[in-house]
Amino acid sequence: MSTTTERTGRNAGVARQRPRRRAGVTGPGVRAGQVGLTVLVLIAWELLCRVGVIDDFFFPRPSEILKTVWEWVGSGFVFPHLLITLEEAALAFITGAAAGLLLGFLLARVHFLEQLFEPFLKMFNALPRVVLAPIFLLWFGLGIWSKVAFGFTLVFFIVFFNTLEGVKSVDRVLIDNARMLGASERQLLRHVFIPSALTWIFSSLHISVGFAITGAVVGEYLGASAGMGYAIAQAQGVFDTTGVFAGMFILMFVVLIIDLLVNRVERHLLRWRPTNNG
Amino acid sequence: MRQPDQTEAPDYAVELNACSKEFTTPHGGTYQAVQDIDLKVEPGRFVSIVGPTGSGKSTILHMAAGLLEPSAGTAASFGVPVRGVNRRASYMFQQDALLPWKTVIDNVSLGLTMAGVPKPEANDRARRWLEKVGLKNFTDRYPHQLSGGMRKRTSLAQAWIVDPDILLMDEPFSALDVQTRQIMENELLALWQESGKAVVFITHDLDEAIALSDEVIILGAGPGSTVVGRYDITIPRPRDLLEIRDDPQFVELHREIWGRLKIEVSRTYQSTVRQEGGAA
Ligand SMILES: Nc1ncnc2c1ncn2[C@@H]1O[C@H](COP(=O)(O)OP(=O)(O)O)[C@@H](O)[C@H]1O
Ligand SMILES: [Mg+2]
Repeated sequence: MSTTTERTGRNAGVARQRPRRRAGVTGPGVRAGQVGLTVLVLIAWELLCRVGVIDDFFFPRPSEILKTVWEWVGSGFVFPHLLITLEEAALAFITGAAAGLLLGFLLARVHFLEQLFEPFLKMFNALPRVVLAPIFLLWFGLGIWSKVAFGFTLVFFIVFFNTLEGVKSVDRVLIDNARMLGASERQLLRHVFIPSALTWIFSSLHISVGFAITGAVVGEYLGASAGMGYAIAQAQGVFDTTGVFAGMFILMFVVLIIDLLVNRVERHLLRWRPTNNG
Repeated sequence: MRQPDQTEAPDYAVELNACSKEFTTPHGGTYQAVQDIDLKVEPGRFVSIVGPTGSGKSTILHMAAGLLEPSAGTAASFGVPVRGVNRRASYMFQQDALLPWKTVIDNVSLGLTMAGVPKPEANDRARRWLEKVGLKNFTDRYPHQLSGGMRKRTSLAQAWIVDPDILLMDEPFSALDVQTRQIMENELLALWQESGKAVVFITHDLDEAIALSDEVIILGAGPGSTVVGRYDITIPRPRDLLEIRDDPQFVELHREIWGRLKIEVSRTYQSTVRQEGGAA
């Protein structure tokens, strides 16, 4: 728990540097090495458990974990929980991103508002967001809305700060050029500011999607009647470490898949950018 | 729309009266970039401004465009005070100013679509312009996929397509290699001839200024630089830019103007050396 607190508190700022597209395709040699490394670690883990070097109460054997994952998936036990978690994460992400975008654009374009709100936003951002989870539980109850609210506070600040920075860092000469070509304030927004801010927003999208899910899971962990966080907490309650690990692995795969989808969208929307290796 | 009122008395297309510009420096002080600039450009004239780097050439062009407000003095265009950006002017910037997220054709047609021209018509006209500047096979490229020369051509088409009465060009070709630059200069003259447009052309290359212009204006070294010389270039048109450097009139004018410009360039150089020496 405490590590989660640290991470949500610290990483919620602006992505430090300009986003850069990842280096292109991974070579076949690297890919083979990655698979080999995975297999090696899993086998070592399994063997060390079997000979008793690793206590498999705390680190259950990979074979056991896989078996539990298979049971949870096969019996359909995990799907309702996963669905609830994803629903909470999606709601938190959509509302948080929308609010972050809106306020980000507004404050970036209206200097007075930015000055007015700056200290308050800094204050809220400095607050480790996890401490809000208990109060949201009291306010919004055990259902999904306390998790949505919690995820919202995580997503909002990331998207907000990146939008603000993205709009403010637009090259002056692009604005001047568009204005000389007759752009109105609205056309400036549409043709210059939004596309420019998109690069920043996308650089934060991977982080904010992750935080939406983190928010949902942590919220469920603290108090819920369904969801992946709840399932993991239940397993932990009966000292079922295998169950805890199974939950972790399933979440990991789901987030990986979502991340791949985000990559796809990003690559399409930012296709105008030069690639590193091109 | 953008039609100049030809029956009226000759209003200047660009008119700066005793314009000065002061910038606030990061330390809270002020820096006088230019002082008492008078610039009058009649419609259809090609005027070049030459000066050492940092002498305030871009600042002057920004004031003419309405992108910067003069600290003192007035700016007008066709008899109307310039307030906000000058809608009758197009601007070709010194830096790359194409929108990187728009394709070549979308960049070129931008001025039209923003003015409400329907997309198909805007695209047609953009395509015609791209053909004119030799880029018809590159319409769907993004700016980063073009060479420097191709980007400048795109900017040229982007600026001309809206059919402005004034073209403000800030060192448009200085980043290009010599061959490409000569081709572009030729294309520019061909476009401008009989277009009736006023051009204010900034360059630090005196050859280029004399070859293209009706008038060359020399700017003194900064800070507080001002106009130190005006020269009418009476070399007849149409001019052959490939041969013009051997023209006796060109040689004579070049000698005369360079004599003046040299002084300013060396003053700029010396003050830079002094500053760097003092800072060290
Ligand atoms: N926004 C600004 N703030 C402060 N100083 C500026 C600004 N713009 C230009 N200057 C200064 O004004 C002087 C003239 O700049 P500029 O017009 O760009 O010169 P040029 O185009 O002739 O090279 C330079 O010394 C430059 O440092
Ligand atoms: Mg300049």
